[in-house]
Amino acid sequence: MDDKRIIGLAVNEDYARWTHKETNPDDVSRKPEALDDMLVLDVSYGSFAGLFASSILAEMGAEVIRIEPPQGDIARKMTPYGIMINDSGLPYIVEGRNKFHITLDLIHEEGKTLLKKLVKRADVLIETFKPAYLDGLGLGYRQLRQINSGLIYCAIHSYGHFGSNAQKYGNQPDYDIIGQARGVVMSITGESELDGKVPEAYNKPLKHGNWMGWHTGGAWAAFGINAAMLYKRKTGKGQFIDSSPPEGLMAMSNYVMQYFHTAGEHMPRAGNYDYAVFPYTYEKCKDGYTFIGAYSDSSWAALCEIMNRPDLQQQFPTSKERLVPENQPIIQHEIEKFTTQYTSDELLKMITEYSRRPDKKGVVVMGRLESPKDVLTRDHWKDRKTFITLNDPGYGEVCVQNSSFKAMSRTPGRVKWVCRPIGADNDLIYQKYLAM
Amino acid sequence: MDPKESYHEFMHKLFDLGELFEKPESLKDIRVLEVCALVIGPSTCDFLAEFGAEVIKFEGQRGDNMRFVTPYDYFWKNMSLGLEIQNHNKYWVGMHLGEPKAKKLFLEFVKKSDVVVDNLTPGRMAEWGLSYKELKEINPRIIQLHVSGYGSWGPWTGRTSYDAIAQSMGGLSAITGFEERGPIKSGVWIADWITGLMCSIGILSALNYRERTGEGQFIDYLQVENVIRWLDWTWLYAFKTGKDRKRSGNRDLSICPSDLFDCVDGWVALAAFSEEEFRGLCKAMNRLDLYAVYTDPLERLKDENARELLKAISEWSRTKRVAEVEALGSKYGFAASRVLKASDAYYSEHYRERGAIQEYEDALYGDMVQHCYPPRLSETPSRLKWGCRPLGFDNEYIFTTILNMSLEEIKKLKQKGIIFKWNPKVPSQGPPPDWDGSKGVRYRG
Repeated sequence: MDDKRIIGLAVNEDYARWTHKETNPDDVSRKPEALDDMLVLDVSYGSFAGLFASSILAEMGAEVIRIEPPQGDIARKMTPYGIMINDSGLPYIVEGRNKFHITLDLIHEEGKTLLKKLVKRADVLIETFKPAYLDGLGLGYRQLRQINSGLIYCAIHSYGHFGSNAQKYGNQPDYDIIGQARGVVMSITGESELDGKVPEAYNKPLKHGNWMGWHTGGAWAAFGINAAMLYKRKTGKGQFIDSSPPEGLMAMSNYVMQYFHTAGEHMPRAGNYDYAVFPYTYEKCKDGYTFIGAYSDSSWAALCEIMNRPDLQQQFPTSKERLVPENQPIIQHEIEKFTTQYTSDELLKMITEYSRRPDKKGVVVMGRLESPKDVLTRDHWKDRKTFITLNDPGYGEVCVQNSSFKAMSRTPGRVKWVCRPIGADNDLIYQKYLAM
Repeated sequence: MDPKESYHEFMHKLFDLGELFEKPESLKDIRVLEVCALVIGPSTCDFLAEFGAEVIKFEGQRGDNMRFVTPYDYFWKNMSLGLEIQNHNKYWVGMHLGEPKAKKLFLEFVKKSDVVVDNLTPGRMAEWGLSYKELKEINPRIIQLHVSGYGSWGPWTGRTSYDAIAQSMGGLSAITGFEERGPIKSGVWIADWITGLMCSIGILSALNYRERTGEGQFIDYLQVENVIRWLDWTWLYAFKTGKDRKRSGNRDLSICPSDLFDCVDGWVALAAFSEEEFRGLCKAMNRLDLYAVYTDPLERLKDENARELLKAISEWSRTKRVAEVEALGSKYGFAASRVLKASDAYYSEHYRERGAIQEYEDALYGDMVQHCYPPRLSETPSRLKWGCRPLGFDNEYIFTTILNMSLEEIKKLKQKGIIFKWNPKVPSQGPPPDWDGSKGVRYRG
């Protein structure tokens, strides 16, 4: 690869070259896998939290057996506008990675017996049913730990499997939107409550565009499984992991809980404003939107100089003034008067040139607001192999996000195949583990 | 198993919070050196710390920048709330690793540690002679993770990233917001938090591998790439259709119905995708005619059908109270919930019973109520022990117990300016104003 593309804007070029050598994506398949001694049973149903958790483990080399009912997991049908490729929607194809897909009917006695046989050999079982559902079938933690005391049993559900709501709301299924709604973050995400220009119809909480609730619940599950696995390697003991997606997001709710505890008040929905750092916001520009960060007093002074607006700096000289909620829409709209005259590339150029001036007052940071199609064209992501495009025997030409763990020098994460049709690995797995 | 015991009784016992501090910790013997500031790196280490890792945090003279980032410039007992949120159970050392003598001391710590985490500019640690190349010479078992916006190499390495940049550069902002409106950034530093979480998973996997083989490794983690990884069907959709994924407010384009609906007294998040759940919803609405037309989940996802159906639900929900819809959800087996605010979570009996919200007495700050990191583990649960600390607060404790130095030697290091503590003129570096000089101190001088 061209050396310039490796060193980019590195402060230490040798370091960049060395890390490239150590984490070169072209070498991934020649390296070992971190978790390839683990057997994971993913019996999740209709949940991308479960699927994301097992994806993370599968990217790290764990053998993941996806266990679906004979008609397939309904998660295969969760797909934008109903777009299907053969038996699967787009999201399922993304998270089917590296998993063996078998079918098993847990309601029938024979199915239960087969699952128990697999559990004997397994390190981990992931499930996303309503609390006590598997227990009712005789396949809960109470029963399974009798046949495998080292089993790590991971349950993912909005209300968890214990605590008063587990009973009160235990008959409700788990969904991403519930994870987001109960995770506190949604209450402060959305258009600004304090900007009078926002029409009433939009003055409400807003979810993240992606399945943030499910991804968070799934990632926390994978975190817990990894921690429990480390403990198991030392003690031989398994345990129950209860991952509730709302708690996963609540754990990321910035300082809202501390603010309530110490000041007794709520943070409002800030929209693109920010009550701890400002300006730190998206601004309209000629060709879309751009991020501008100039929140320390020195960088704010720099931004005002770039905009040639000394009056603004005088009006809001310190963060004290800039963090007053009522001032933020004013500052925002004043900056926008400037940014809307330029494209985001022109703005970036201007700010970069200013940052090289010896008499600069501070550093302003900018970033483009990229559309998905923009992202797919960037050299940086091509060089880092952020996406992989391949021709899958079951699903044709596909492009999916690669493992984000692929720059581990010794045991990089990887995607070996994208997905498998319902029951495609029945023969393989039943022969391998049950000699059938 | 006791056949008379209900599942809920069994689970309640299994997770008995009364035994929280008697239970072991899964990361008890893992020592982590944190060379981090702001959110990603400190959160990575915080997640490990609440599950038992011993995290030693190194700060420069000014301290972690989060000492100065707090809502409305509000400091509580001199504490910056922005610092507190991703710094628990840690030990605090004031020492700048760019100083050659400090570097030597740091290498002594590396010998006795398992993990080093930094989120400085990529290459900064190398400039100081502390890249993985050097660290593994001293300790081949060491795991070093570096996290930055764009990683340690590539055309964009070295570019500054903030949370909101990662949201915008990774495509999250473009797909977040209402259909007819502009993009909206998350109400929290979500790209930082989710990246910190994935970094800690990378570290745990590397620890698992090391447990098997004795080998450490270097991990380069990219914040913006992490955002990309979390955007489910965005990329495959663009690849297959040539179109950008649209913003759709609270409506889920892949699950129908799944949206936020207006009620008489607020909003309710509601979802019912399977035939059975959807039938339950239609029954609750007394609209089995809708079920007859839209039985098939895939039919419901077609844009026109989805809009019609969501409209019908919203006309119904407007006549209901939030609690009514929640109760109907439980009765008929579909998902329905209010949007929780901080106070709802803070006072939630459920979250407290689970240890998701924990109350504890901090030696410096008194009574604290905070969330404790998930997931809940039955044998090795996470726990809160203490919160953030003044700059250099644990210098003496750490240098005596880990490097086995005498207090006299430590004094000399301090005189030479190699290690340091808070500057009394900078309140948010220091202890509460009424600190008595001994509360929370862990060594006997």
